[in-house]
Amino acid sequence: MYQAISPYVPVLILILLAVLFGVVTLLIAWLVRPNAPYSEKLSPYECGVEPLQPGKLRMSIRFFVIVLLFLLFDVEAVFMYPWAVMYKPLGWWGFIEMALFVIILFVGYIYAWLKGALEWE
Amino acid sequence: MSYTEIFFYIFAVLSILFALLTVTRRNAVHAAICLLLTFFFIACNYVLLEAEFLAAVQVLVYAGGVVGLMLYVIMLVRKDEADEVRQSLGQRVIAVFIAILFVLEIAFISLLAYYGNYSGFLSSKMAQIGGNTESIGAVLYTYFLLPFEVVSVLLLAALVGAVVLAKNRIER
Amino acid sequence: MIPVNVIFLYSLIIFCIGLWGALSRRNVFIVLMGIELMLNAVNIAFVGFASSLGNIAGQIIPIFVITVAAGEAAVGLAIVVAIFRNRLSINIDSFNILKW
Repeated sequence: MYQAISPYVPVLILILLAVLFGVVTLLIAWLVRPNAPYSEKLSPYECGVEPLQPGKLRMSIRFFVIVLLFLLFDVEAVFMYPWAVMYKPLGWWGFIEMALFVIILFVGYIYAWLKGALEWE
Repeated sequence: MSYTEIFFYIFAVLSILFALLTVTRRNAVHAAICLLLTFFFIACNYVLLEAEFLAAVQVLVYAGGVVGLMLYVIMLVRKDEADEVRQSLGQRVIAVFIAILFVLEIAFISLLAYYGNYSGFLSSKMAQIGGNTESIGAVLYTYFLLPFEVVSVLLLAALVGAVVLAKNRIER
Repeated sequence: MIPVNVIFLYSLIIFCIGLWGALSRRNVFIVLMGIELMLNAVNIAFVGFASSLGNIAGQIIPIFVITVAAGEAAVGLAIVVAIFRNRLSINIDSFNILKW
């Protein structure tokens, strides 16, 4: 009996292969490698030099506003995608809708710019 | 049982497992990683429920944006002694009680729906327009025009609020 | 085809885990994560109904929910950072400035 398979089966196989690749490689390395640790070998790897500071450092506040703006404009891009796919059938009316949407968000962009949120003090 | 159902149940169990881990981890970074995996498995279930566009949005906005922002803020306000304090509020019993009450209430409604004369499968009407994203676009920009425009005002308000909260402190 | 009440139950379980996390935890980030889980559970219910009733509207409302969740995360985390600067704590017990 022939049964149509879902188009997502290749995606599943790809994910499984990707996971297996990592797991099997680490497993074989774990089985084969010699185990002779000493303190310098166990210290965190920082491009070969001695670690400069503990790994639990605080991030700078300056990235924060950038990440916030990224999240909000990320959502804006989500709304643009179905519009772009249906651009022809929606016609000029759809264009006006999206123009209004973008203009309102552009006001926010200008506000963030004037407030200095995009500056790297 | 079809393959779709088997995979739905696998992903459902995995997402519930990671959701449980999210709310029980001590370390906020571990909780955020578990949340990421929960969102990913929920996105897998969206694909199985034929909502491909939403699955993409889920990975893009939640897994990419919201969890990223959370991880960033956790690293920003990291305090080492935060791991040592007692983790739960005094209201754990009340919280469990309210959650169980909610389960019972909605399970009752769900049972009513099951024994009612419910029937329905995915109509082929959506498939006539094209893919999932096309049909969403066709409905979103016609019937949902007002909510769509209101969303831009919501995003503007969130943007202004976030910039005010984040910026004023730096200037001070 | 997955029965709609199973999807509803699944959404319910995720919602209640989020509710439990938001009500009982002390770490403000995990409270926010609980809220995100609750919003996701609502999305699952919408998508389940969209697939079983064959109505595409059920896939559009989650996009709005996701938008609200993104705005909520952005403003909520900005508030957390602002309070952290004043109180040096992420414990939800110390967020009682408005209490009198």
